Amino acid sequence: MISAYILITMQPGKSDKAIKEMRQIDNVAKISIIAGEYDIVVRAQVKNLEELLDVTDKLQMVEGVNKTTTQIIEKEISLQ
Amino acid sequence: MIIRKKYLFYVLAITSSFITAAVTGIDSFVGGQSAFKFDPWAFAFSLFFVGAIVTFLISLILSIKYKGKSVGAKILDPSFKQVRLVQKSEMKYHLVAGLMNAINTVGYCAIVSTVQDPSVILSFSQIVILYLLLMESITEKDVPTLVEIQSSIIVTFGAILASISLTGEFQWLPIIIVFLVVNPTWAVFSIYQRKLKIMRIRNKPNDSINIRLWNVVFSCIFTTVILFIFDIFTSGGHLIAAFTTSINPYYFLLLALTMGTTFFAYVLYIRSLGMGKASVNNALRASTIIFAIPFSIILLQLGVITDFSTDPVMLIIKVIGIVMIVMGIISFALTVVKAYIFVTVKTGRPLRETMQKLWNIRGVTHVTITTGKYDFVVKVSTRTLMKGYERIIKKIEEIDEVNKYRWASVLKDWEKI
Repeated sequence: MISAYILITMQPGKSDKAIKEMRQIDNVAKISIIAGEYDIVVRAQVKNLEELLDVTDKLQMVEGVNKTTTQIIEKEISLQ
Repeated sequence: MIIRKKYLFYVLAITSSFITAAVTGIDSFVGGQSAFKFDPWAFAFSLFFVGAIVTFLISLILSIKYKGKSVGAKILDPSFKQVRLVQKSEMKYHLVAGLMNAINTVGYCAIVSTVQDPSVILSFSQIVILYLLLMESITEKDVPTLVEIQSSIIVTFGAILASISLTGEFQWLPIIIVFLVVNPTWAVFSIYQRKLKIMRIRNKPNDSINIRLWNVVFSCIFTTVILFIFDIFTSGGHLIAAFTTSINPYYFLLLALTMGTTFFAYVLYIRSLGMGKASVNNALRASTIIFAIPFSIILLQLGVITDFSTDPVMLIIKVIGIVMIVMGIISFALTVVKAYIFVTVKTGRPLRETMQKLWNIRGVTHVTITTGKYDFVVKVSTRTLMKGYERIIKKIEEIDEVNKYRWASVLKDWEKI
């Protein structure tokens, strides 16, 4: 299983509608609206890099998405 | 389905509370039976003996595969695959949790055998939050904030007020048992169940169904040993009497009903323990007191408990108690600040060491090493932004390997369930 964070910058005023669309995308495990350099962080969980490409493709097609930056997780420690 | 994670957390904890209220009602009825009324030791042993059998059978049924996934994964815990043996890494946690549950249950049985009104029994158990806050400040990576302490005190006093009115009585012996036996053991039990839930087994999240199954098995073993030793020193026959009672078909069915229902309450509770601190979970579980009222009324109708007071003063006290519990829970829920911190580090330093340094900071809940623009994505949880600066940012700045970091507060989030 491959996990990745996809950091997204949005056009102003498009976040609400975009989140609704993103929630329908397969392999999206978590979505957070954040304040700062990026507007949205999506956590994707996929079986292979091909599926990760599908997720980033679908995210880029969502209206209002300006740019995506993908951070593939190599190692993780977590409380939950 | 992607929903907001905190909703799932509340749904799990509150559903567990509702089932717990039902279980306490059933326990009051079972504990009032002639075989158990004056023998809480026998009651505790019978619960675990029959409970181990019932829990194993339910777990086996939940292991049945349907469309590539087990039934348990579909309806209770997505991490569950099938019944499995305890792993070496889990053993010490199971031993402690099993021992605590065994002692806790003997205390609990002593109470339900003497006080039959579940709303009274459950109210005093809520004070466990204070024990948990103290223990978490020692064992977890976070210390309680003023808000947590305030909310816990509100919930605790609410629980005390809510417990007085239905029967109009205030019994000291059960309260002493709750304070000295039930609450301390429950606090340790909760912390160890949480530790088990957040462990990874074969690189996958641990599941609450196996945790519950093995907890009942270990609790049964400990209860048997404790009861055996007790019988030797007192020349008593509790163990044999309890075993004989357990295999009586009438009692077996009653015990199977209570332990079968308990299984679902615990599985949901353990799952919610994996999502939030034990103290916050137990604050949510205070809602059990409210759910216990209809069950108290049913028991009243069935003649299991005596008439309760209709004195308006008593009823007002009860309502104030319930309002305080709800307010305490709401203030817990609304005061969490979460954030991502994107970190880049200097080259030529081992990433694993830096990862451990980041992980050691209080309030850090996730650390991931990533490829791409940033070397680490760190997730933090804190009660206030000021605490985020004092306890997290300052500590990150102290790490020599860190080159640059960016804080991004989470405004709202959703998670797949």
